[in-house]
Order: sequence, then structure tokens, then C-alpha cells
Amino acid sequence: MATDYILSLRDVAVGYGRLVVLPDVNLRLAQGAFIGLLGANGSGKSTLIKTIAGIIPPLSGQIQFQSGNHKTPILGYVPQRESLDASFLLSAFEVALMGVCGRVGPGRMIPAAEREHVKQCLHQAECDDFAHQRFSELSGGQRQRVLIARALAAHPQFLLLDEPTAGIDAAATQSIMELLRKIREQQGITILMVNHDLPMVRRYVEEVIWLRNGTIVQGPASELLSREKIEELLEISWL
Amino acid sequence: METLREIFDPEFLLRNSVYIMLLVGFAAPLVGVYLILRRLIFLGVALPQISSCGIAFAFALPGWGLIPHMHDRVEERALALAGSVVFTLLAIFFLAVFERRGRGLVEGRIGTAYVLAGAWSILLLVQNPHGEHGMLELLRGEVISVSNLDMGLTAVVFAIVVTALFIFQKEFLLVSFDREMALTLKKKIFFWDAFLFTMVALTVSISVLTVGPLVTFGFLLLPPLITYQFARTMRQFILGASLVGGISGMIGFVIAYKWDLPVGPTAIAFLGVIFGVAFCVRKLIQKR
Repeated sequence: MATDYILSLRDVAVGYGRLVVLPDVNLRLAQGAFIGLLGANGSGKSTLIKTIAGIIPPLSGQIQFQSGNHKTPILGYVPQRESLDASFLLSAFEVALMGVCGRVGPGRMIPAAEREHVKQCLHQAECDDFAHQRFSELSGGQRQRVLIARALAAHPQFLLLDEPTAGIDAAATQSIMELLRKIREQQGITILMVNHDLPMVRRYVEEVIWLRNGTIVQGPASELLSREKIEELLEISWL
Repeated sequence: METLREIFDPEFLLRNSVYIMLLVGFAAPLVGVYLILRRLIFLGVALPQISSCGIAFAFALPGWGLIPHMHDRVEERALALAGSVVFTLLAIFFLAVFERRGRGLVEGRIGTAYVLAGAWSILLLVQNPHGEHGMLELLRGEVISVSNLDMGLTAVVFAIVVTALFIFQKEFLLVSFDREMALTLKKKIFFWDAFLFTMVALTVSISVLTVGPLVTFGFLLLPPLITYQFARTMRQFILGASLVGGISGMIGFVIAYKWDLPVGPTAIAFLGVIFGVAFCVRKLIQKR
């Protein structure tokens, strides 16, 4: 059976201005897959995910999305939570409400149905208890859940997460990964996630993209996250 | 009480000054909120100075023979407003372009713009004795000779700005809080930034023209900074800043009128006292 792809990158160079971070990216991401994007610090993971999300334009090459209706799929983006300014006096609900701004025209009030949808997304992400607390006063794990709820509020077909479990304790990490697994199973959303936590990635994702010295290795998690392959990719030996 | 009764008498000679202090007090903090949230407080200092430079430049044009001398007050105000708006918008445009390219220090550019605008304002004015008189009045923040024309113009511009800020609050907040998210939702970041900064530029230009750069800067930043210490929500922050600004403008005028002081600096000094009190109260609350 032929695989449906939601995204393909052909000869794409990513970077900032004249700084090329990844010179030649060729990738295809299968529809409905849970994909982990791995690599050392500074290897270009965030740059690549931001390029796919349309935040940074590609330096060259072609990025092609494909969804069921042959239109660009709706993206749900979860940024690194430290990138959001704590001085904004916004509640978790107000932050999540931003997710519907793509559907509500400029100058229009957010309709009651959309507000209800946001409440459901917050409920799905288990944020009911702190939905009306100030976003900046929440714990790292709680903020991450709110950002996932916000991304879900956009009705995404493709969810992009930039280090959703960085700096979060083990219990919160586990519950966020469980939430992502549930979202993917229930809604069939394709998920691409930047992550450093190899055991966690091995447990939840089925495909891995590994960035190493400007090159890309893509394959099944069971293969790329085997002990021998990790040793080879990280150029280390366990003795 | 007697002073208040006198000030609110419809026949009060300086009634336009009262109204203008109220208008600037209520409206300027509404745009100041965005300058604070976007960490552009320096821009709040530089823009009134750049706007003043624009007015000085406009007043210098007849002296250079580039345009005929203005004898009509309406034409003179229109020229000053044009100079103020053009300089402020150009400054915002160039600062935004440099910020987009991500080169150099933002604070360095804003600081340079501030100091150059200040220097050029003085250089332009010493060449133009006629303009110098009007500008000195503005720089001192006297807020005494406010014509019906200035009042009407200020009211119309502020009505446009406040309406735009209210209607498009959702978009302005989104692009200010999370630009990356806005981009993934296909929002036109550059358009919304330009729109917001045009509102800032209009507010600064018209405020500088009527109350001067010092008072404009004070009302842009002090009321939001006072309110921020106590606000729990964006609504409290925005409305609170506007209320603090409007009421302080009014009280500042009353104090200035009673003790024969310049209106603008008195209102700003009063805001400074409120800021100090608010700071102490907040510290006390935090200690409990």
C-alpha cells in the first residue's frame, strides 16, 4: 500500500540570512506519523522546525505540503515556552484563545462556539484546574499543556512541537508524552517533535529524523534508536 | 472646591487646556501599554523628541524659502502636524526595518535617534526666532494656549486611535505576544506592526503638538508603569492605565492652576508621586 505523505522537502537549505545551518534537506513525512527530530545542540533542529512551520523562509529548495483536500494543512505550532514574554498579563484561557485567531477575521469578536472549542481543547490537555490562572505563573509542565491546547484550538492536521519537555520534571514529561500519544491516536494528527530525551522518544515515536554535522538520517525509531546506531550517530562508545 | 468649580465652569478661559490634559491623559497610556509590553520604553522617550524635531523642521521651511511664510494659525498647525507625523512615521519605519534585519543594538539605534533629534531641534530653532518661541512653549509643557482647532484635531485623532486599538486588540496582542504563532496562523506580521506603530506615531505626534514632548513621554509610560504593579489581567492593565492617566492629568491641572505652575510638568511630577506611592504600597503588600 502506498504511503501518503503530509510534507516533503526537496533540496531545501535552511538558515538565517547568509548563515546556512542545514545545506541540503531532503525529507518526506508520512501522514499521521509521530516523528521525533533529534540532534545535538546547535545542529539545526529548531531552525528546521521553524522553516517547516513557515516562521523562517527556506534559503532555497522546495517545501511541499499535502493534505486530504490538496490544500496546505493547518499547522499547530508549540514554541519553546521560554520564548513567550512573561510580562503579558494573560490567563491560560486567553493564551489558548489565540489558537482560533486564524479562523476569526481581523476586528471580529471571537464567537461563543470558538470559545467553547478552546475550553474543550484545554479540557483535553487537562488544563481545567488552571485555565483562569495567569499563564506566566504556571509551572513549566502546565504552560506546555496550555500551549498544546492552543495549538489544538487551530484544528491542526500537523502538530509541530519545539522541545515540549525541556526543563520539565519526569512526571510532567511522561504526562505530556501521553497527552501527545492520545491526541495522535484519537485525531490522527501528524506530529513532529524536537526532543533531547532519547528514552522518551524511543518509547513514543515511530520515526526519527537525526541531524548530525549538517546531514540528516531518517528512519524507524526502532532502528535509529538501537544502541549500536546511537553509538554510531553520537560517535561514542559505551566501552 | 472653589478651584474645581472655577475650572469646570463652561466659561472658564483655560477650559481647552483642561480638556486636552484629560484627552492626552486617557489616550496616551493606551498606546504606552504596547510600548511597555514590547519592551520599547526607549522608543517612548525618543519618539516625542523626534516628533519635536519634525515640528522644528517644519517651522524652519519658510525661513529657508522652501514654502511661503504662514500667517494663518490653521496653516501653521497643519504644517507643524505634518512635520511631526512625517518625522515620527519615518523614524518608526527605519527602526522597524533595521529591527527586521536584526543588525546592531536596538537601544543603540533608538538612543542615537533621540540624541540626534534633540540636537537638530535646537539647531533648527536657533535659526528661526519665530518658531523658537512656539517650541519653547511646547518644550516647557505650558499647555495654556490650546485653540479650538487643536482641541478638535486631538479629539478626532485620539478617537481614531482608541477605536483602532479596541477593534484590533486581538491582532495587536497576538503579534506582540507570540510572533511565531501569528506567522503559523498566516497573519501579516509586518502589516499589523506597521498599523500599531502608526497608531503610536499619530498619538505621539498630536500629543507633542499640543502638550509637548516631556508631557507626552510622561503620559505614555508612567500611567502604565503604575498600573502594571497591581493589574492582574490585560483589561485591568489597559483600562487602569488610561484611568490613572486621565485622572492624573486632571489633578495635575488643578494643582498647577491653584499654585500657578506650568501644567505639564506639574501633572508629570504628580504622576511621579503616585508611582512612588504605588511602588511602596506594592512592596508592603508583598511583605505581608
